[in-house]
Amino acid sequence: MSRGVRRGAVWAVLLSLTASLVACGSGSDAGGDLTTEKVTLRFTWWGADDRHKRTQQVIEMFQRKHPNITVKGEFKEWNGYWDSLATTMAANDAPDVMQMDELYIASYAERGALLDLNEAKKHLDTANFDQKALATGAIAGKQYGLPVGLGMYSIMVNLDLLAKYNIPVPDDTKWSWDDLKAIGDQVSKAGGGQVFGVQSPGINDAAGLSIRARQQGKAIFDADAKVVLPQEIARDYWQYILDLSKSGVAASPSVTIEKASAGLNQSATATGTAAFGLWWNTQLTALTAASGAKLKLLRLPGETQGASPGAYYKPSMFWSVSARSKYPAEAAAFVSFLANDEEAAKVLLTERGVPANQKIREAIAGQLKDTDKAAKEYLDTVPVSDPPRITPNGASTLDTILKRHTEDVLFGRTTPDAAAASFIKEVQSEVDAAK
Amino acid sequence: MSALDELRQLRKGGAQVRKGDNRAAFWFLAPWFAGLLLITVGPVLASFALGFTKYNLIQPPKLIGFDNFARILSDSRLHNALRVTFTYVLVSVPLQLACALGVAILLNRGLRGLAFYRSAFYLPSLLGSSVAIAVLWTQVFGTDGLVNRVLGFFGVEGRGWISDPDTALSTLIVLNVWTFGSPMIIFLAGLRQIPEVYYEAAAIDGASRWARFRRITLPLLSPILFFNLVLQIIHAFQSFTQAFVVSGGTGGPSDSTMFYTLYLYQQGFSRFDMGYASALAWFLLLIIAAFTAINFWAARFWVFYDD
Repeated sequence: MSRGVRRGAVWAVLLSLTASLVACGSGSDAGGDLTTEKVTLRFTWWGADDRHKRTQQVIEMFQRKHPNITVKGEFKEWNGYWDSLATTMAANDAPDVMQMDELYIASYAERGALLDLNEAKKHLDTANFDQKALATGAIAGKQYGLPVGLGMYSIMVNLDLLAKYNIPVPDDTKWSWDDLKAIGDQVSKAGGGQVFGVQSPGINDAAGLSIRARQQGKAIFDADAKVVLPQEIARDYWQYILDLSKSGVAASPSVTIEKASAGLNQSATATGTAAFGLWWNTQLTALTAASGAKLKLLRLPGETQGASPGAYYKPSMFWSVSARSKYPAEAAAFVSFLANDEEAAKVLLTERGVPANQKIREAIAGQLKDTDKAAKEYLDTVPVSDPPRITPNGASTLDTILKRHTEDVLFGRTTPDAAAASFIKEVQSEVDAAK
Repeated sequence: MSALDELRQLRKGGAQVRKGDNRAAFWFLAPWFAGLLLITVGPVLASFALGFTKYNLIQPPKLIGFDNFARILSDSRLHNALRVTFTYVLVSVPLQLACALGVAILLNRGLRGLAFYRSAFYLPSLLGSSVAIAVLWTQVFGTDGLVNRVLGFFGVEGRGWISDPDTALSTLIVLNVWTFGSPMIIFLAGLRQIPEVYYEAAAIDGASRWARFRRITLPLLSPILFFNLVLQIIHAFQSFTQAFVVSGGTGGPSDSTMFYTLYLYQQGFSRFDMGYASALAWFLLLIIAAFTAINFWAARFWVFYDD
């Protein structure tokens, strides 16, 4: 497969060819009036079928309001999305409006690929956004992304399984990580090798580790993008995961890795093979549909024992505009429509997370399914602390680095202590390399 | 008329005709030349230049001299990727060629329905590097997959073949061996070229079946074997799709399926380090060139040209 090797080179040349074309053509100005000429905006997002249908509907609504603007949607699944965004950026052919993630926003913004949305204030209404929520999309005072929805890390429990084994639902207002392990052990014993207590964390994202650090008043990164995670916290985190695996509270390492890598629908929670799992609260609807079981959102363990709550509002994603867009004003107007239009919101509902726009959140409240209502209620009631710093430039590989270390620990290739040291070193070197 | 006569005839032909033909040929080839220059040669040269820069895909490249190449020496994950790739090449290629030769000899016996078997064995070669087969592989070797069901039937406890770092690479080796069809077809053509009289003479002299294979088939087939060996080694070094799909693009678990090309791809497109990725691409070229050179050198000792 020499194509894979050669592909990189192809883009390199395309870049050099297109570099000379930068800033050609008659574009608009971010702060100017909307054009009356016919223009086409390209809009890209990742997601599943349901999202594509809803988004396409909203695009049509926007086009009816602005007959001279055509919006061309391009959608992909998560992994392909980032590969393709990187290459289109390199080719100077980035879409005008894009769905952006917390993991990548600094990597793109600090390399000058994203527009400061403040420049397009005239067309972008942010009046109904909480300042704290807006801040999650800002770096050094520049608004590179408008948060779309908010999510919170939570424990999802399968009530049907607990009822089947006659195990009471734990009191989540003051439970600890040890309590979770203990009740998970009861489930595993009752499950007889088919059903396990806990779906092992540490594979799909670094949020669990971040939460552990935050509960002890620490963080993975400080404001200057330096890795300040204490090694003991990382070590305890992996020791906990290893204990879950060794004691049989979680499934065997290879089953765990296989299920976690196969996506939401194949996960232990979705297949009803684990009673407890760490998930974003907004995934309740999808997981309920996939598992067919009655699921409930519980607060995170260890929230009351530590220095401060680890939970925080995480922007599920952002709307960003390319810094090289020829039509920044029109792109901003489209983003404003996505974020503020009530009719559009009634189509999108909570598919991209509980809306960060507070007015919209109330406007759609009546239309929500029970599971969406539960997710919204969780967001409205569970105590949180200030969000962590945005994942710094260069650390967009944070989740994959974490996953590899978890695998090394689970398969006995390294100790939790060595994994902790190696993880901290590698993440720091990634951040340094991007400078 | 032999080929030589034909050539002589052509030489005698008028020079004017030839010139006109050349011009026409040039125009017919022009699109191909344009493609070669723009899509292959240009990028290859550009990647050479990029190998000496720090280039994150968004900002313009910065010259950094030999830093990327120096990093190759100290990058422990790359060294692991090399280990994985060498294991893959050195185990899967000999196995694959052995299978190809074995099946080719069986098929060469002229059994009924030969065309059908030939196609049936060749089919995996067409499918082997496709995404669909890689996806199928994750199902077949999964914890609830076909392999474990069959093992379970015989009372053997299965495992997560692909999700366990001790066995993940083996599944990819099996996948590569399974695609033995294209070298097999070439072996089959080679076997057809060996004159039957050699075997008859040997049989009359009382040579055993093994002696006939060892003394007649192998030496006369050695140029074909050499050809297949060179080609399959190059091919195996460049494997990408299987590992990418089976591991979900991560090269996991624990970097156990991290092929060189996959690592290169991650450097360029996940870490936005196209300078290093370009340096890696050129380093891979050197590795493959070295292997091919060794192959050609060693060929002097075992390849027999019967002419």
